[in-house]
Amino acid sequence: MGVFDALRQALGLAAEADATREADPEDLFGLSTAYVTMEAELDYAPAGEAALCFSGVDSTAFTDARDEVAAVLDAGESETGTAFEFRTDAHGYDWVVLADDDFEDLVTGAHFAADTMMEAGFGSRLLAAAFAFEPGRDGETAYWLYSFRRGTYYPFVPAGDRERDSAAEFKLESVLDGELDVESEKSYWYPLWPEGDVHPWGASFAATERDRETN
Amino acid sequence: MEWKPDWGLRGRMVLTMFLLFALYIAFVGVMAVFFTSRLFPILVVMTLFLAAQFFFSDKLALYSMGAKEVSEQEYPRLHATVSRLAQQADLPKPKVAVADSRVPNAFATGRSRKSSAVCVTTGIMDTLTEEELEGVIAHELAHIKNRDVAVMTIASFLSTIAFLIVRWGWLFSGGRGRGNQAPVIVAIVASLVVWIVSFLLIRALSRYREFAADRGGAVITGKPSALASALLKISGEMDQVPKEDLRDQAEMNAFFVIPIKSGIVGRLFSTHPETEKRVEKLRELERELETR
Repeated sequence: MGVFDALRQALGLAAEADATREADPEDLFGLSTAYVTMEAELDYAPAGEAALCFSGVDSTAFTDARDEVAAVLDAGESETGTAFEFRTDAHGYDWVVLADDDFEDLVTGAHFAADTMMEAGFGSRLLAAAFAFEPGRDGETAYWLYSFRRGTYYPFVPAGDRERDSAAEFKLESVLDGELDVESEKSYWYPLWPEGDVHPWGASFAATERDRETN
Repeated sequence: MEWKPDWGLRGRMVLTMFLLFALYIAFVGVMAVFFTSRLFPILVVMTLFLAAQFFFSDKLALYSMGAKEVSEQEYPRLHATVSRLAQQADLPKPKVAVADSRVPNAFATGRSRKSSAVCVTTGIMDTLTEEELEGVIAHELAHIKNRDVAVMTIASFLSTIAFLIVRWGWLFSGGRGRGNQAPVIVAIVASLVVWIVSFLLIRALSRYREFAADRGGAVITGKPSALASALLKISGEMDQVPKEDLRDQAEMNAFFVIPIKSGIVGRLFSTHPETEKRVEKLRELERELETR
């Protein structure tokens, strides 16, 4: 901790300053190559879904920013076929859910959405990007969560009843560290529990899409 | 997202801290000149005592409130709320504790960010909506973020020493008719002055830090109105709570979201600003959101 940090705490400004710090999307693209390692070495295949979690702001400017994100993703959908949907979870947090079988398109979509949010001045409201992976054998769905607050990735493997599969998380961390910028302080590995649903962002979007098409 | 800084608040905070610091320097100076080595042991013992208190402050505060740390399984929603707000504030997730009390309140403890805990009463969970509770928890996280327990402990350290010299200094006068009494009398009088003035300054500092935590909390949730309505709701409820609870918990006031009202304690002496003023400040933030 530097002198500057100590001064900000002494003046009671630390909370305000850190909560409004800009998002750091720099290393988000790390996963667009690292997913190959996930598949080749760990037998985890992309689940075809990713999502962006952000905490809303009580203002019209924020609603406008949300509309801009929708416009950008709409344009992307016609180009790459990445489907998207806005959702609000049980905790009142907003999600942009993206579905695409091409993993690199998912990362690009998430990056576009985050970028639009930042340009509108709401980058500090971005909490995390989440990418789902299914294990080849039986096991739990694994997630790589990207923290926009810290600019790092961390693994998250929920194993029911608010337990985490730390062994699986440890494996993911040790194999992908270096390829991804993995958060070294484990106290920052915040969970995003699925709350009884398939994913932290609720029901599987890809599956509901398929249902809609068959109906 | 940029928020307009509250320069008035910053200025008052700096001024208060400066005055407190100057007062303490003068106090130490007077003591060094007039002081005999007779009072030295009290200083050593008190330093150790206060250090221990600081070190155990988190456990002490939780214990005195009858609060228990709760697991993810017991309070899943509360944990999820704390975890997400901590992420927004870029803070490691603090421990979560619940106190079984009808008084709707919340507080944060911990000398460092790693050892900190957020505690809510069962009363506050019953009273507030989820959004309002979020506002209150964000306010507490802002306290942790700003290291308020450490700042207030350091700010009141010499004040406590001064109080103890006022209270127990005569013990060191060495008994009747032995040597010169003047140094001890000067020490006690100086301590009395320092204690009274520092008491008022510390209370002012505490109020300013409440305002700072309100701002911090509002910025974390992005909803100043949620905290405002929570404050109004709690302060309304506070007046209707039975007396017994009030007395039991009076000592914890400094760490509460809204202190329990007591008619004698005037505005100058209170650790928290008036609810109306806090709500007014939050309203300004809310307006800023819409007129940006």
